[in-house]
Amino acid sequence: MSTIPRVSSAIAGEPPHFGSVLAHQPAIAESFFALYGRFWQSEVLSARIKEVARMRNARVTECGFCRNVRFDKAVAQGLGEEVVDDITDGYETSAKLTDAEKAALKFTDALIHDPELLTGDARAALQRHLTPAQIAELGLGVTLFLALAKALITMGLEPEVMDRTVLPTPAVLEAAE
Amino acid sequence: MSAVCAALAADPVLASHYADFSAKAEGALDPALVALVRAAVAAVHGMGAAPNESGLDAGTRTCLAYARRMPFEHTAITDAEAAAVVAHLGEPGFVAFSVVTALADAECRAELVGLPELAGA
Repeated sequence: MSTIPRVSSAIAGEPPHFGSVLAHQPAIAESFFALYGRFWQSEVLSARIKEVARMRNARVTECGFCRNVRFDKAVAQGLGEEVVDDITDGYETSAKLTDAEKAALKFTDALIHDPELLTGDARAALQRHLTPAQIAELGLGVTLFLALAKALITMGLEPEVMDRTVLPTPAVLEAAE
Repeated sequence: MSAVCAALAADPVLASHYADFSAKAEGALDPALVALVRAAVAAVHGMGAAPNESGLDAGTRTCLAYARRMPFEHTAITDAEAAAVVAHLGEPGFVAFSVVTALADAECRAELVGLPELAGA
């Protein structure tokens, strides 16, 4: 996995990072940030469960950038590092993750790794803990987390080193509404 | 319609945003290349036949070889492989190609996991 950018920044004076590279395609960037803001601001599924799924994706796809970013809305909903530490193999036995979060994690693993993981009891648990609308939103989230992590990695935008960073949760852009 | 859009049928605003993002990404590339990439990625997932590459130029074949690596080998793609795609598509094209290819992989996975059915669509 390369940590050398494979594409340059499109913003003068800024190093290559996800935003400055995506600026090569302004229409894609504008549409993505409108979508991502709408997704994170929706209250159908809590930001905490979305972030749990995002953290799992970050670990499985080996996205160091994703793994070190935290969104403040999920932190405010109680997703501290002691909980994040349990989002690893064996999360099924965690005492800090809720049953709904474990069901969401199993769905995440099934989508990003092996669909056979979501059969029988796991599928029933997902449908017991989340409504169809919440599953739809979770599915959108995991789709975006996975695609963007892979795009970021393959464009060589992985940081060599990065401290844990709490960022404002993506918001709906007024101009996009 | 993609599995993700189908799953979001009960939330037309979010569905519209997702469809727009996907369309903007695909619209930045030659539609023929987009179709080939989607078919190549789907074939890796066992969701259809691999595209017929006879008659394709070397640059397009390079892009398809790269796309086939995205589902299960994204961390193994080399700088040289990426540079070959950049040489064919240019930097803006490579950015769009990266998004389209990764999104095609994720959409296949959403379909394989049965997302629309789980979402009641």
